[in-house]
Parts: sequence; C-alpha cells; structure tokens
Amino acid sequence: MDPHSELNQRLADLMRSAQDGSGPAYAQLLREITPLVRRIVQSRRRFLQAADIEDLVQDILLSLHAVRKTYDPARPFLPWLIVVIRNRLAGSARRYSRRQAHELQVDDLAVTFSEQQDNSASEVYRDPEALREAIAHLPAAQRQALEMLKLREMSLKEAAAQSGTSVGALKVSVHRAMASLRKALKG
Amino acid sequence: MNTDELIERLAQTAEPVSRLRPPPTRTALWFALGIPYVALVVVVMSPRSDLFTKLSDPAYLIEQSAALATGITAGLAAFASIVPGFDRRILLLPILPFAIWFGSLGLGCLQSWIQFGPDGLSLYPDWFCFPAILLVGMVPAIAMALMLRRGVPLTPHVSTALGGLAAAGLGNFGLRLFHPQDASAMVLVWQMGTVFVLTALAGWAGHLLLDWHVLLERARRRVGYR
Repeated sequence: MDPHSELNQRLADLMRSAQDGSGPAYAQLLREITPLVRRIVQSRRRFLQAADIEDLVQDILLSLHAVRKTYDPARPFLPWLIVVIRNRLAGSARRYSRRQAHELQVDDLAVTFSEQQDNSASEVYRDPEALREAIAHLPAAQRQALEMLKLREMSLKEAAAQSGTSVGALKVSVHRAMASLRKALKG
Repeated sequence: MNTDELIERLAQTAEPVSRLRPPPTRTALWFALGIPYVALVVVVMSPRSDLFTKLSDPAYLIEQSAALATGITAGLAAFASIVPGFDRRILLLPILPFAIWFGSLGLGCLQSWIQFGPDGLSLYPDWFCFPAILLVGMVPAIAMALMLRRGVPLTPHVSTALGGLAAAGLGNFGLRLFHPQDASAMVLVWQMGTVFVLTALAGWAGHLLLDWHVLLERARRRVGYR
C-alpha cells in the first residue's frame, strides 16, 4: 500500500471510530489533519495574518465536526476532507468580499465631506481610551450589537442568529450606538 | 480558545452520529416514501377515464417514463450534491431523461403542427396544472427538503433546484395519471412551465434550507465555543 492510501485508510478508520463516539480517536484524527488544514489555508490565503489563519482553521475544524455524519467510511477520507476545506474557504472569501464592499462604501462617504470634518472626526476616533469608555457606557444591547458588527465584523445574519434578535433590531441598535458614540466623543 | 483547546473540546463533547446513507439508498428511500403518496392523490382525484388506453400509447409511455426518470435522477443528483467527495458529474445525470421528456413534448408539438397547422398549437389557460403538480409533489418535496438538510451545504442553490426538479417531476408524473390533458403544446407550456417555475423557486430557496451558518451555530453551542 502506498503512503497516500495508507494515510487515507488510517484517517478513514479514525473517522469511523469517531462517528461511533470514540473521543480519543476523534482527537487523534483532528490532531493529524490540523497541520494539513493549516497548510491549505496558508497556501490559499497568503495575505492573512497568523491569527486570521488560525480563525479559519478553527472554523474548518468546527465545520468538519458539524458534518462528520456525512462521511461514508467505505469511501476515501481525504477527498471528503478537501472538499469541505475548499467549500469553507470559498465561503470565507465571499464573506471577505462582502466586508470589503462595505468598507468601500464608507470610503466613498468620506469623500463627500469636507477635509476638515473628516480629519477632525478621525482625530477624535484615534483616542482609544475615550472610545473604550464611551463604548462601556452604552446600553448592553447597543454594546453587543456594536461589538458583533463593528469589532468582530460579523454579518448582520450571523450577529442576529448569535444574539437571538432580528436583523432590523440590530441595525437600529448599531445606528443608535454610533450616534451615541459620535455625540460622546465630540462632547 | 486556541486550536488545541478546540480539538480537546470537540473530542470531549463528540457523541456517536448516525451516518448518512449513500445517495442511491437515500434516493430509493425518498422514492419509496413519495410514490405511495402520489398513488394516493391519483386515487383521490380519480384516475383519468382513458388511462388503460393511454398505457398502450408509446408517446404517453415515453413521456411518463422520462418524467419519472427525471424525478429519480434529479433526486439522486440532489442527494449526491450534499456529500463531499462525490463525483460532481453526477449532477448532470438528470439532463438525459429531461431532454427525452422535453424532446417528446416538442415532437408532439411538431406532429400537431404538421397535422392541424397552427390550430394544433393553440393554447388556452389551464391553471389547474400549477396547484395540481404542487399538491402531488408536496410530500416528495417536503421529504426531499428534510433529507437534504442532513447533508453539507456545498452548493445550496443547485442542491435545492435538483430537489425541486425531482419533486416536480414526480408531481407531473402523477398529474398525467388523472388530468386528461394530452395536447403537447398545452403540456409543454402549462405542465413543463410549472415544473420550471417550481425548480426555479426551489433553487432560489437554497440558502434558506441549506446554510453553513445554522450548522456551525449548532456545533458552537454544543461545544461551548464563542
């Protein structure tokens, strides 16, 4: 048996045991595939920082965990794994493009204001201590919405699912939070 | 949480899972569930009076066999599309029976035109088709949606469009057993049109039925990962 088939067989056996509920086999499987997952993510996302790479690796491990019942031990393991990794990477690329698109809109807005206003606003936002304090004084719902959408850069849909509120309520919360911050930081 | 901690957490909280059966088995299960319902609807709606005569009409038999084969192959392709590592060429499987189905109706239109001229292709409203196909395909469609949700949302829109085609194909097969509409142009426009609309609607709903985010949220909650 060539090394590739041997690896495929070993991973398939581990996954079969994991599907049957064996924790140690599952831990071993995940430990064995993590370097491979990391290598693939690094090779396809060269521009990302190490922390972002690790976030993606963890996202893929969670994805594999969520869909492990779809693996058929009679079939080779690596093609199953690679398809899930590629699919999650394509999904992350779409999320990244969406964020980039939103960022461009903000850039466009800045051009419409006068230079002085733009600079003064960015001066105020460069005071991280004041910003942190202003965020801490926000009502809990607004703080949570701001944290999820602006700091963790989650999509509205993701944030709504995590917080258990509607997309509309999140939009309102974030709008109010931004208005309160603007007021607090100017005052 | 770092990656090593996540691995430990995943391994500690992992429970036994029931494996997804292979796509051909799932297709057979889906079909075995759908066909009795289709038969029930046909009986309740009362089969067309000329059904026995139609069973010796080659054009009718080809058309019905192709509709049924389209439903089955689209179902198989839909189930394969939610399993990572499956050969993607299987997604093209419904093309052949669908082409035969479409072609048989096109040929019927051509024959009507040769025989009766433009009158042979006359159309009039037959709104019965849409709700009837919807009714016959409803249970197969619901079963398909539930079964697809157990898989991986690799190509959500393609998977649900194929699932929709499978259910609509079965629905149209059932409809032709109790609805005495045989003019090819009418069947092509109203029945095939309904199949197209239902397939398109199912494809549009792909992201609502199959979503990574839902799967991941469930996994995160179980593992306690934030």
